[in-house]
Amino acid sequence: MVRLSRVMLKEAGHAIDKTLSEILVCPLSKQPLRVCEKTKSLVSDTIGVSFPIKDGIPCLVPKDGKILGEDGDDASKAS
Amino acid sequence: MRRINSLYLRIGILKIVVGKPTKQPHTSLASLSFSTSGGYGGGGETQQNNNSSRVKIFDRDLKRRDRAAWLSRNKNDTFVDAVAENLLDRLEDCKKSFPSALCLGGSLGAVQRLLRGRGGIEKLIMMDTSHDMIKSCRDAQHDSVDKSIDTSYLVGDEEFLPIKESSVDLIISSLGLHWTNDLPGSMIQCKLALKPDGLFLAAILGGETLKFVRDAGNLLTRAGFSLPGVDVDEYVVKYKSALDLIEHLRAMGETNGLLQRNKASFLSFCRIFFSILNRETALATAAIYDSMFATEDGTIPATFQVIYMTGWREHSSQPQAKRRGSATVSFTDIQKQFGGQS
Repeated sequence: MVRLSRVMLKEAGHAIDKTLSEILVCPLSKQPLRVCEKTKSLVSDTIGVSFPIKDGIPCLVPKDGKILGEDGDDASKAS
Repeated sequence: MRRINSLYLRIGILKIVVGKPTKQPHTSLASLSFSTSGGYGGGGETQQNNNSSRVKIFDRDLKRRDRAAWLSRNKNDTFVDAVAENLLDRLEDCKKSFPSALCLGGSLGAVQRLLRGRGGIEKLIMMDTSHDMIKSCRDAQHDSVDKSIDTSYLVGDEEFLPIKESSVDLIISSLGLHWTNDLPGSMIQCKLALKPDGLFLAAILGGETLKFVRDAGNLLTRAGFSLPGVDVDEYVVKYKSALDLIEHLRAMGETNGLLQRNKASFLSFCRIFFSILNRETALATAAIYDSMFATEDGTIPATFQVIYMTGWREHSSQPQAKRRGSATVSFTDIQKQFGGQS
């Protein structure tokens, strides 16, 4: 059952489901994404941008990307 | 007013009568703001224009928010369903099955709802630029019958497709791609995301000239699809008044992009109509349109042309054209062989 498996994945600490984790890439660089469980985001290390996961749904439009600072934290002062 | 006089609108012969669209309260017209100054930045959000050489014709941010709201209020759209049904029917013509499928924004809700097990899809990935739209699809799924399909949801843009190369068997887009600013680019990315021998199925709204068919074919070829196929269908929808028509277009999410094409097409008329005129002028213009184009029984028919495109990712099993000049038999030989008549 899809619903059940989604609940279980959430409890296991996975931010996105298996299907998506296998096919998603960064929309700008087309490179693989790293799941960051702590910030609930998908990080594109090649270009230093993180994309949020809102309500369990990855938001991979370029506009939603946040540029990361040098130490990996959000440079959230970007306008 | 000058604009309206210069646009030539063709009315099709009534073939189908579709049920009345839901009437929206008039306040909803005033609540959407259209600014002509600062044109493309509706809603106070500015977007970094990565590719300055590409004209940004559609304000995709405006489309994201508004379309989701309108579409969620109009779940029973016969026209949208007819188009989705036509697309999905084609899956039955293929002997192939498509274990993984990516469904792109537009009327993706209709595709998901009408799928009914066609195409042998096991994993369905739903993608749209609007978070609200995707959420409403996910919430609707719990009511639908088909829980055997493993469905995932993401927010993404066809122009910046976040899908790995050669990873899905099928990509479907129903009434969504004509809103991209870079259609060839979007189609190329779709092709790349397909596995070899994967299928691309799309329905887009066309203008009223046949030139679109040739253009669509060219687009498929330029994107590198094999065995491209294009066909066109026309749907005539009857409305009580011009305002009903325009509200239906809104509900399909079709009016909120700013359109700057110079084609004399019905949809251009509506888009310009709503992007430039204020509410009072809009209502006045609708009245004029009513008087110009109403049929004898007072209804307004509108013709929607839908272009269906199919293309495959190349695979060695597909028939290939032979290289020019490599023929070993000439037409003369064939004629001799079969006793040709002249």
